[in-house]
Amino acid sequence: MKFYYITFRSVTHAQRGERALQREGVRCILLRTPKWMEQRGCGYSLRLWTDQVYPVLKILQAGKVPLGKVYRQGADGQLEEWNFDLS
Amino acid sequence: MIYLDNGATSFHKPPQVYRAVADAMRTCGNPGRGGYREAMTAARKLFGCREQAAQLFSCSPEQVVLTNNCTHGLNIAIRSLVKPGGRVVISGFEHNAVTRPLHALKAQITAAGRDLFDWEDTLEAFEAALKKGADAAVFTHVSNVFGYILPVDQMAKLCRQYQIPFILDAAQSAGTLPLSMEQLGADFIAMPGHKGLLGPQGTGLLLCGAEGQPLLQGGTGSESRQQEMPDYLPDRLEPGTLNVPGFAGLREGLRYLNRVGTDAVYRREHDQLQRCIHGLKELGMKVFSGPHQSATVSFLPGMDCEEAAQFFADRGIALRAGLHCAPLAHESAGTLETGTVRVSFGYDCADGETYDFLRAASKLPRFSQ
Repeated sequence: MKFYYITFRSVTHAQRGERALQREGVRCILLRTPKWMEQRGCGYSLRLWTDQVYPVLKILQAGKVPLGKVYRQGADGQLEEWNFDLS
Repeated sequence: MIYLDNGATSFHKPPQVYRAVADAMRTCGNPGRGGYREAMTAARKLFGCREQAAQLFSCSPEQVVLTNNCTHGLNIAIRSLVKPGGRVVISGFEHNAVTRPLHALKAQITAAGRDLFDWEDTLEAFEAALKKGADAAVFTHVSNVFGYILPVDQMAKLCRQYQIPFILDAAQSAGTLPLSMEQLGADFIAMPGHKGLLGPQGTGLLLCGAEGQPLLQGGTGSESRQQEMPDYLPDRLEPGTLNVPGFAGLREGLRYLNRVGTDAVYRREHDQLQRCIHGLKELGMKVFSGPHQSATVSFLPGMDCEEAAQFFADRGIALRAGLHCAPLAHESAGTLETGTVRVSFGYDCADGETYDFLRAASKLPRFSQ
């Protein structure tokens, strides 16, 4: 399983995301976004472990939750920004 | 005390509202400002309040902006849609919370529809005014003085037809009458948290269907490097620390209403209203009643209205007299000089209280006005 951070611009957006994932049985943790991930300064993220992140992002997209960025654990164990395409 | 001033605020709240306020004061930090337990607890209480409101009013949680009161929400909405000197159509029954912000903007105001309880007059005059063009329309759902329920579905339809953005003042209807943001298609709906929604004072909601312009700028706990306010809701319109205990209480009021349903509240209040109107008429009072009336009624007591209200207050009965911050509505009804005494029922009103009120009313000394 890989470790992901999904960032949001607002705590309310992150909470909506958390609720949408909870409804689908996806476990996640709501927490402050690490400073280095958030260029605009201050935000909230959902942290989760999964092998299948696309279905997770699709749940958020279906719930019209405004997404920020996605970071995932790379081969070296470090988190890196991951460009995703939901189209 | 017999409390018949629910148009001003609901005095008796469900017990869980009081508990939630006290609990929040003990357990909540600053929402959206940290990741520690107390800050997250606060954020969850606010989000829960937004979720309950979204359920009751058919919108999404981030469309629910938390305000200090209905007036605060109306000011945001009006400043968002009306430029200085702009043209605005309002109903003939607006509160000062609408007319004063418009006056401050030196707006060109058309008050359309002055006949009480007359939907035909309201709609004809409203459409005629919209036809002449306007930057925005602002109208109340229910007159706070007379309980007149305006035909807001049709008024909203007219606004859409003439492509005029509109604001609904739901101060007297939220929690008592069905209200759907989705169905109405309003640009903004403003409401207090402390009246029909059964929350504490110092809370209000602004439902946003359009982009709002901030009245205040400041910290939001988000995008802190930016000097502009965030361009998304609800952060854009919520600078500064919110009234977390208040909204924790409001969440419980909303939860109660989602459980029992506004129809049940309306039926109970309306039963009391009918008894009250009938009783006052039997006593020979001039009573303002008609079709399309919510749980509020005004009457002329046959003496100075403030002295009459004091007479009731001295007997442990709370109601409101005077102009009710709505001189326009009184002008429409021809009571600007006398004022009226207003009785407004709440979700927990009971038969016995209405009878006690009517018994006291039968003992009113009759002075000439």
